Amino acid sequence: MLISYKWLKSYVPDLPEPDKLVDVFTFHLCEVEGVEKKEDDTIFDLNILPDRAHDLLSYRGIAKDLAGILNIEYKNIEYKIRAGEATKLSIKVESKNCRRYMARIIRKIKILPSPDWMKNYLLSMNQRSINNLVDATNIVMFDRGNPIHVFDLDKVEGSIIIRQAKEGEKMTTLDNKEVKLSPLNMVIADEKNILALAGIKGGKVAEVTEDTKNIIIEVANFDPTNIRKTSKEINIYTDAVKRFENDLSPEIVSVSMNDMSALVLEMCKDATLEEVVDIYTKKQEKNKLSFNIKRISKRLGLDISVATVEDILKRYGVLYKNTDDDFEIVVEDMRIDLKTEEDMSEEIIRILGYEKLKEELPKINWNSKTNEVYSKIFWARNKLLNDEYSEVMTYSFRDKGEVEVLASASDKKFLRTNLSDGLKESFKLNQLNMPLLGMSEIKIFEIGTVFKKNGEKIHVAYVDKKNVVEVSLDEFCKSYQGEPLVDLSAKSYQLKANFKPWSIYPFISRDVAVWVPNVVESYQVYKVIKENAGDLLVRDPYLFDSFTKPASTAGGDGKTSYAFRLVFQSYDRTLKDEEVNEIIAKISYKISKNSSWEIR
Amino acid sequence: MNQETKKGKEHPLSVVINEAVKIFTDLGFEVATGPELEDIWHNFDALNIPKDHPARDMQDTFYIKGEKDKVLRTHTSNVQIRYMENLVKSGGKPPFAIIAPGKCFRNEATDATHEMQFYQIEGLMIGEDINMSHLKGVLSYFYKKMLGKDVDLRFRPSFFPFTEPSIEFDLKFNGKWLEIGGAGMVHPNVLKNCGIDSDKYQGFAFGPGLERLMVIKYGMPDIRPAYQGDLRFNQF
Repeated sequence: MLISYKWLKSYVPDLPEPDKLVDVFTFHLCEVEGVEKKEDDTIFDLNILPDRAHDLLSYRGIAKDLAGILNIEYKNIEYKIRAGEATKLSIKVESKNCRRYMARIIRKIKILPSPDWMKNYLLSMNQRSINNLVDATNIVMFDRGNPIHVFDLDKVEGSIIIRQAKEGEKMTTLDNKEVKLSPLNMVIADEKNILALAGIKGGKVAEVTEDTKNIIIEVANFDPTNIRKTSKEINIYTDAVKRFENDLSPEIVSVSMNDMSALVLEMCKDATLEEVVDIYTKKQEKNKLSFNIKRISKRLGLDISVATVEDILKRYGVLYKNTDDDFEIVVEDMRIDLKTEEDMSEEIIRILGYEKLKEELPKINWNSKTNEVYSKIFWARNKLLNDEYSEVMTYSFRDKGEVEVLASASDKKFLRTNLSDGLKESFKLNQLNMPLLGMSEIKIFEIGTVFKKNGEKIHVAYVDKKNVVEVSLDEFCKSYQGEPLVDLSAKSYQLKANFKPWSIYPFISRDVAVWVPNVVESYQVYKVIKENAGDLLVRDPYLFDSFTKPASTAGGDGKTSYAFRLVFQSYDRTLKDEEVNEIIAKISYKISKNSSWEIR
Repeated sequence: MNQETKKGKEHPLSVVINEAVKIFTDLGFEVATGPELEDIWHNFDALNIPKDHPARDMQDTFYIKGEKDKVLRTHTSNVQIRYMENLVKSGGKPPFAIIAPGKCFRNEATDATHEMQFYQIEGLMIGEDINMSHLKGVLSYFYKKMLGKDVDLRFRPSFFPFTEPSIEFDLKFNGKWLEIGGAGMVHPNVLKNCGIDSDKYQGFAFGPGLERLMVIKYGMPDIRPAYQGDLRFNQF
């Protein structure tokens, strides 16, 4: 959720500077995914996770928590509005998925552009301003966390009815999407039409337009699971869904209605207000939570004192009583996530800060078993490595197979039924790169899971120029006797090993063979080649052939031939033959400077 | 020409996995394994991730066509459940400590830091008094062994349905803080779901990704070559 520093500060006047606030969020509340400086404001992009979505997807929720963390004042701004006149508005709640429905008629309103402060607040959250009424619903939703909807009163026929849809019923949403409904979906209807998909999206029938004069404001609380299921089924996800699906406190309905009404009255001076109709079928119980701070200390590995806990509870304005280490608190309505002692252990440590935890190694004084599958994989891998096979890993996804995944982001929708297909592709790729790899033969293997109709199995497969062999891990390990794992310490902790990325451009490989007197050693030739090969040489010259014609044999002159393979490649372009020819010419020239050396 | 060519070259992820397993087994952990194609109970329900709850959206899951009850595991946490269920079934009880490296899957677009398949290393330690400071101690010990003595570890608040408290942890490596993975104290519901007395036993779990560790350890710019079967990747 995008959060404006300015808006937030209206509730917490002593808020630290934005760059300090980032750390407070990060280490005590939630992750900050982005910070953007604007003219006279800073916008934080906060990643609010599902366990806190019911209170932290709102300015006031965040403000209250920050005030608690920092032990500074939370300014609870409340709007006073005049009493409403008597109303004839009729509300019928027929669905059990509606936990509270509050509605109010306001007459003689005017649809106008929003005042600047509202436009700016919305703009700071990347929200487009639409008109004073729609903007007000959004402002209150972001501020309090409760979504709000408005109907055009003059388009409503009779009572407002909150009910489940009938099989095959249809409605058109505000954005002109036709939706077919089933009894799973909850709707807001009048006596003739469906007016809205409850908690998800408004409908076309009672849409507020420029000509709207009289309105019904809806502030409600719906069952999170029902909203979520409908939203998934019809594939509409809105800011309202995001809040309702995470479960909201029905207690914030009345304050949200009050704020919304106040905003409308402020913007439309001639408006007349009627009293609210409030159907509150499932009153939220006051949640009492007991915890013991000795047990919490034991869970955290940190001694938490009675005084520390009392201090935290006071900072958050939480009502509590305690006998020594046993506490009982009354949980604030919006904190639906606080249910157990474990929840309180998190609450206490994240407020105190996780840096308070020490680093301690536990004593393990029990015996651990060896795992057969892992030991076999380890054994198989080492056996193949010792036989000069190198290990590769290929994708588990293929374009054919027996087990298919749904809605994949990729075009490869099947799980592999064997390792060989991927391994053969890998073999081809590596064969092309043999000069680059400095290998005279490609031998590779993979150990991994394959998936068939009757289940998954771990396979071992290896490929060389003669064979493609694939067997099950158990088959491969027939001769494995449960030897202990080889000690890895020699290979471990190579901290300085640095990965070298490779070029995506093609390489050019050339061979240089030189006749030298047999007193000359290969490294002397190597040196001349290496020194004159330039920066495009991507691997060490590789001696792939050498032989000596003894002086005694017929035609023999006692000279030795050394043949080196040179591989050239650029990191930023495709090399031209001519470039490489020039390099080879230079090397040849340098070699020919030794009168007894001769290019073959 | 030299000794190295006499032996095949191991995949860098295997190098990392083997080192990790060595460090943890030296501490007393035992290795555990589990299936990659998993049922909903072991991947979600038993881990306190309820059906029709937004927490399920935290992971982009691969569901299987024609098999309503199956998913590609989204994490190695399924191994926690399988290990504890088997332990209880065979009459065992805590304390225990397991480490489970394994392949996981997420249905998301591929880029330099995300792949549809990836490795996690799951750790789980349960006893009568295994606490959150132990979690910090074990993670710190592991990463210092893996990356060098001067790495620093820090915790940040987070949320996972299967841990309470839940944290994300970062490492300071070469002067920079890097996000590494998630961890926490095992939620009592998870223990109960496996038949373990959650009033008597408590402990921690963690499940960082191994590609991330490999990339940091070796200074790799991109994780994608890991699964392309390209031997140029086997540099160590």
